[in-house]
Amino acid sequence: MSSKVGLLFAAAVLAAAPVAAHHGAGVFEPEKKVTVEGTVTDFQFVNPHVLVYMTVKGDGGKDVQWGGELTSPNRLARDARAVKWHKEILKPGDRITITGHPARNGAPMMDILKIVDAQGTVLIDDE
Amino acid sequence: MNREHFAAAAAACALAVWASAATAQIPTEGEHNADLSGVWTNVNLPGTAEWAIYTFSKDLPEMTAWGRARFDASKPQRGPRGVPVAETDDLVYKCYPPGTPRIYIHPFPMEIIQLPGRVLMIFEYDHLVRQIYTDGREHRTDLPASWMGDSIGHWEGKTLVIETNNFNDKTWIDRIAVPHSEEMKLTERLYLNDQGQLQVDMRVDDPVALAKPWEFSRYYRKTDWTIEELVCEDNATYEEFENQLLEFDDE
Repeated sequence: MSSKVGLLFAAAVLAAAPVAAHHGAGVFEPEKKVTVEGTVTDFQFVNPHVLVYMTVKGDGGKDVQWGGELTSPNRLARDARAVKWHKEILKPGDRITITGHPARNGAPMMDILKIVDAQGTVLIDDE
Repeated sequence: MNREHFAAAAAACALAVWASAATAQIPTEGEHNADLSGVWTNVNLPGTAEWAIYTFSKDLPEMTAWGRARFDASKPQRGPRGVPVAETDDLVYKCYPPGTPRIYIHPFPMEIIQLPGRVLMIFEYDHLVRQIYTDGREHRTDLPASWMGDSIGHWEGKTLVIETNNFNDKTWIDRIAVPHSEEMKLTERLYLNDQGQLQVDMRVDDPVALAKPWEFSRYYRKTDWTIEELVCEDNATYEEFENQLLEFDDE
């Protein structure tokens, strides 16, 4: 992870138990985790992977656009997870905290494991 | 009863008659020895989740020189040799069917429907359908090699035994590029195990690609889900996301 991006958010990089990599080994770091808090700018409840984009306030007040991906909408809508997901569960302006496996190349993107909303409700927790 | 109400009642009657006719098509127990019908979702045995998402056993099967050469030359998107979508030669990323048995690895539910003389497996993944004929017919010999194979089934007690052949050699057996040839034959044994799960014991025979048969099992739990839409071409959305990631410039 680059120092530049590393300084832009409060990252909790933890040793994570090995999980089934969601994608090719070259994309995300399955052994690391990062947590960022920000404001949702776009929420795509689409196949094959649900996508969440958000603005995160970094050091010096500079906004950083983060992107994260989840599993499929069909799965999120039917699984007995923390809550049942639907196409309006997130909307632009929502404040959320997301945790996931960060991109290997330091891009502000992640394979999302956990989302907590502004009320403290856990929307998903695959940690 | 006004006209609208009459029309609604007539439509309801027609629907009831249609539903009744459909119900009449459900086979009696005599035609199928067990009821495997329902929407099933994959269950991984403890300790298998890490690799079960991309292959069928912890260790690679023993391959022939032909098989090993193909394996080494391939660029799977999953597993220890995984490469980004843009670099893979996995045809599934071009929306070709994953083939059988690989379809079992894709983590989406599957519905089994039992009809007289036939069992249908409807996979949510790209709406692929397998038709397994149980009416005593032989394998087709007039058709070109296929992605999902030609499946004939029969019952051995409460176990549905499916034999599938006539595969093309464009698919991989799993998602990490274990190859097969057109000689591949797949034998599946489907039954309800002691835990009430649908257990699928499989054996892949392919003397061209595999040094010996590859045997493995997959497990499914029954759900109250419905099969939803999942169109492969929608994967373009993810490619866009991944490209954005790969093209990230830190400077």
